[in-house]
Amino acid sequence: MKLKYSLVTRRTFLNTLFGGWLFAFFSGTFYALMRFAFPTLGKEPDFVVLNKKDFTDLANNSIKRFPWGGTVGLYFTKTDGSVLALKGVCTHMECNVDYKPAEKKFYCACHQGWFDENGRNVAGPPPKPLEVFVITEEGEKLIIAKKGVKVELPKA
Amino acid sequence: MRRIGFVSDFLDRLFRRLPALPPLAALLLTAMAATAEAAEKIAVFPDTPYDGFIIHESLVIFWIAILGLIVIIRMKLKEIERTQEMGADRENGDAPLLE
Amino acid sequence: MNCPRLKDWLEERYDLNAIKELAKGKLIPEHRWDLWYYTGGITMFLFIIQFVTGMLLSLYYVPHIDFAHKSIIEIVTKLNMGWFFRSLHHWGAQLSIVFLFIHLFGTLLTKAYRKPRELVWVTGFILLGLSIFFGLSGYLLLWDERAFAAVRVATGGAGAFPFIGWFIKAFLRGSMDVTGDTLVRFYAFHVAILPLITLGLVGLHLILVQAHGMSVPLSLEKEKRREAPFFPNVFYKDLAVWLVVAGVLATLAVFFPPEIGAKADPLAPPPEDVKPEWYFLFLLQTLKLFPGSILGLNGETIAILLVSGAILFFFLIPFFDRKSSRGEKSPVFTWIGVIYLLYFLTMTLVGFLS
Repeated sequence: MKLKYSLVTRRTFLNTLFGGWLFAFFSGTFYALMRFAFPTLGKEPDFVVLNKKDFTDLANNSIKRFPWGGTVGLYFTKTDGSVLALKGVCTHMECNVDYKPAEKKFYCACHQGWFDENGRNVAGPPPKPLEVFVITEEGEKLIIAKKGVKVELPKA
Repeated sequence: MRRIGFVSDFLDRLFRRLPALPPLAALLLTAMAATAEAAEKIAVFPDTPYDGFIIHESLVIFWIAILGLIVIIRMKLKEIERTQEMGADRENGDAPLLE
Repeated sequence: MNCPRLKDWLEERYDLNAIKELAKGKLIPEHRWDLWYYTGGITMFLFIIQFVTGMLLSLYYVPHIDFAHKSIIEIVTKLNMGWFFRSLHHWGAQLSIVFLFIHLFGTLLTKAYRKPRELVWVTGFILLGLSIFFGLSGYLLLWDERAFAAVRVATGGAGAFPFIGWFIKAFLRGSMDVTGDTLVRFYAFHVAILPLITLGLVGLHLILVQAHGMSVPLSLEKEKRREAPFFPNVFYKDLAVWLVVAGVLATLAVFFPPEIGAKADPLAPPPEDVKPEWYFLFLLQTLKLFPGSILGLNGETIAILLVSGAILFFFLIPFFDRKSSRGEKSPVFTWIGVIYLLYFLTMTLVGFLS
């Protein structure tokens, strides 16, 4: 069925074609620019591998820090000698927490938040407990993993 | 018969010079490449053939986009010239308002 | 784009009609040589690409001697399309200097510098100097063997200037030799100092061009010719040309990504056959022409004085060329222009091939 009159003016047609093509062109360019400007932002690791001998014979009631991706993890030796691994990042505004041996609690200096020996938030603004990790030993290596992660070591 | 507008003139002259480009470019590039030092090979281009394919394909699409835009620009220019020659692009200053 | 509400909003606050009339007044003459009018715009387009790719690269580049080389390798190997943006920046630099010289010699030979456009030439010439310095400073940022040697030669050469040479050399280098201080200094020039000055000068250069309108070659001045309105006609043609340039740039970037040499070692001898970037070759070749000493005077100093004199004369051509400022044909200066062009091309070629 042939139309008697055109649905759009020549001007509209041309301008839409031009504008649409330009938009596609520039959005492609822009996408490339953004991919470059935003690199694959660091993911948190599922587990880290440490040397066991660095973490033996530690004093009771103390912490030893270890790297967890880009942040810090705490290897905590309790007063009774048992160990606990936690993420050393406050659940409030992500400041690093410290351990106060005298009070036997973790303390976040940013807004005066307190966590107990098991990482539970007991005072101040933190809304959740500190994240606790699972510790396993493999030969000479100490593996600290997120809860629920199946650790697969590469066959070195 | 339609007078050949300055669009086709312009594009003609531009593209007449185009055949001169490849040999000149080749000369320039081989000269530049000859002076470049072949140092220890740091991969300045993605290694895998999969990536290479995607890059070359993207280049082709890029060129298609450019040529498409140029075609559309040419269409627009012809239309603009058509209206300009008709005198339809100038506003008539004393046209009455439809109040 | 038709946004009547936006137009009304703006029109209630600003006199858009005045701007529209101004824009409508920009007319581009049509004649045998009018394709040359596009060279300035292409150069500007390429510089804009340099600004954009440069800003992106500066997100990851580290200007410290221990990290510079490594950061570039990281950009090229680890980042999404890092190699591509670096390659674009490299080829954008090469092409912009090429088109800059085409634009320079185009305006020289068509005598676009003549009265009343002398200041356009002056600002343009300063921009030429800035662009060369852009190239030099950017090149050192690689901190590989070639770049290091090339910059040592260039700043050392500047030091051979009589009386003020030591000052220029110390200012550029930031210390006695090319060191980490030089790198930081060149980085400051390349990403902050030069861009700001360039933006200002380009703005001035463009305003002057709009004020004067497009120059027409002397031989064609008397003829009647058509003039196309810039908006929208020539604007679209400009856009088409720029798109082709973008395509060529992307093609070069994909097929010829630049290499990066081994990290610079200040104590090691320079690599074999080290040469500066191609736009310096004609200067190097000229220096090589001069013997060690002439009539008891230092040959290099004389060479530098002569070259500087030639460049100074080139700069002042609009003021020496009296005939063209009167609107008369000036074949002497046409020949001078041709000689400069041929000298530049020949010496560059000789520099390549030797």
